[in-house]
Amino acid sequence: MTTIPLGPADGASAAGRTNGTAGSGGESGSDGGRLARRISAKVVIAVLLTAYGLVSVYPFLWMVSAAFKNQIEVVRGGHLIPHQPTLHTLTSTWNQLHFFRYFVNSLEVTAMTVVLTLVVYAAAGYAFAVLDFPGRGLLQKLFISLLFVPGITVMLPIVLLEDKLHLLGSHIGLVLPFVNGGAPLSILLMTGAFSAVPKELRESARVDGANEFHVFTRIYLPLSRPALITVGLLTAIPTWNEYLLTRVSLNNPGSYTLPLGLQTLSSENVPHYNEMMAGALIVVVPVVLLFLSLQRYFVNGLVGAVKG
Amino acid sequence: MTTAPRPALSAETAAPGGGPRDPRPGAGPAARAARLRPRRRGYEAVSGWLFVAPAVVLFAVMGLYTVGYGFLLSFAQWNGFAAHWTWVGIQNYKDLLWADPRYAPRVQHAALHTLYVMLAVPALTVLVSFPLAVLLNSARRMQTLLRSVYFVPYVTSGIAVFFAWQYILQPDGAINTLLKSVGMGSLSQPQGWLGNPHTALPTMIVVTVWGAVPVAMLMYLTGLQSIDRSVLEAAQLDGAGWWRTNFSVVWPLVRPITAIVVLLNLRDSLQGFQTFLVMTNGGPGDHTNVLGLEAYRLAFLMDLDPTLGLASALGWLLFAAALVIALINLRVLRSRT
Repeated sequence: MTTIPLGPADGASAAGRTNGTAGSGGESGSDGGRLARRISAKVVIAVLLTAYGLVSVYPFLWMVSAAFKNQIEVVRGGHLIPHQPTLHTLTSTWNQLHFFRYFVNSLEVTAMTVVLTLVVYAAAGYAFAVLDFPGRGLLQKLFISLLFVPGITVMLPIVLLEDKLHLLGSHIGLVLPFVNGGAPLSILLMTGAFSAVPKELRESARVDGANEFHVFTRIYLPLSRPALITVGLLTAIPTWNEYLLTRVSLNNPGSYTLPLGLQTLSSENVPHYNEMMAGALIVVVPVVLLFLSLQRYFVNGLVGAVKG
Repeated sequence: MTTAPRPALSAETAAPGGGPRDPRPGAGPAARAARLRPRRRGYEAVSGWLFVAPAVVLFAVMGLYTVGYGFLLSFAQWNGFAAHWTWVGIQNYKDLLWADPRYAPRVQHAALHTLYVMLAVPALTVLVSFPLAVLLNSARRMQTLLRSVYFVPYVTSGIAVFFAWQYILQPDGAINTLLKSVGMGSLSQPQGWLGNPHTALPTMIVVTVWGAVPVAMLMYLTGLQSIDRSVLEAAQLDGAGWWRTNFSVVWPLVRPITAIVVLLNLRDSLQGFQTFLVMTNGGPGDHTNVLGLEAYRLAFLMDLDPTLGLASALGWLLFAAALVIALINLRVLRSRT
């Protein structure tokens, strides 16, 4: 359902455009001015698009640049390409500041959040999309209304509650609110994906004696793989970067995630920007790689969410 | 809880019809289905509840309980350690809005900054992302690559990239160097862009827009690609040029997307404060303090002062504002489409 609209629309627009160009070319083949205008318009568009591309990656470029500079060079500043590029900043930041520990912690929190989100909301989405049960409409509305509750409104009660349950400071204490916070979007996307699966598949499987759980795991889940990846990605990226709740929840440096590790770098008296940027690069690179390898699912998922 | 009876009602009205979702093949199977229906209905209800149970339990504890708890706390005074709450009624709300000289002026100040952000960020985001999507939609060869590049701000959004912004915005940072090298040195900020009280808030707005453009741009791009080509061709046949087509035909067609983009960004501008916490912590001299940041400070950074009730109350004021925005937006969306 989500993959279909982009492809044909793209193809149609491509066909439309080439036809249009050919047509106008035939009509006004002698009109060189028009052709020149068309080409110069293309150049202007390319320049504008490239310019915004630079704006998009500009802080990122300087992050990379500083991470490969030594302390003396980064203070002098001024140039993007390091004159004496060094790996020392990256390796020393990684080694001295327990970044491996933070990295493992981040991985643990993100993986637990993604897995729990997928399990809990795939099941819920299946119920909302396929099963008829009393209270379905009300529940669905309740979950969507969560979208409008500001994070800051519930953050304090969550911290107080977890303190009571002795979850505060543990990783599971972060994972539970993260999972719940992702409920509206995850349910929206999973319900949409499951609704697109033909009902006949379930009917015939049920007639053949499969129970509801089997229908869910053997038919609906495999058919909805793209949606599952989208939800996973949309959960993983913000979780990996999360800072606000993490900062007020974790107090033992051994349990810190990468954003908190990065925070400790900046709280020194004189900020060493090369070390901070090296740390920032360590935080950012895994999500960039994850996004690049799975981005088509992300785009399609967002398209699905907008249409829904 | 005014919505409570509605779903129940619709479930009842659907029941005699046998459920509109049941397919109705030939007479024989239909008769069998009719015999099986009561049992199947019960089975479906039970499995339905089992499937949503984990989500509901989590929601009850992390959502409903915390929301209720926070609401009660907003009518009390507490420092987080004392054994009992002191009930103060709506005093917290009064203190925040006008009564207490320690809090009210700060809140009013922060509200003004939040208002600036709420006006500027959605407008600028639309102003950048719509033209960007139109241009990107017409560039076929580079589209996929550029789309990935444009998404870097979304993917990296978090403390790491905010530190990078801080780094390039400092007095001897890359932005000032860039301005000097292109002969606009008079625009550079010797105190740094975040150090000068006059440029700090506008700079924060620009950084926020930078982070908001990717998703908005992708939404517009999606909308553009679903517009029927024949509509655009008809406009061109009628003699509309590129500007005219985009302004008078495309822009009205993507209005629902504009409404979503504006709603999302209004909400984020009202509630979001992570960028501010990391990059300026409200400074210099509270010139970039926003309401979310003020609530965060009251909740977590006041040590033993009894400000937790105040923090909750401020959170609820933000919630009320978010609700009003959502309702207005919904109305606008309905009236236009």
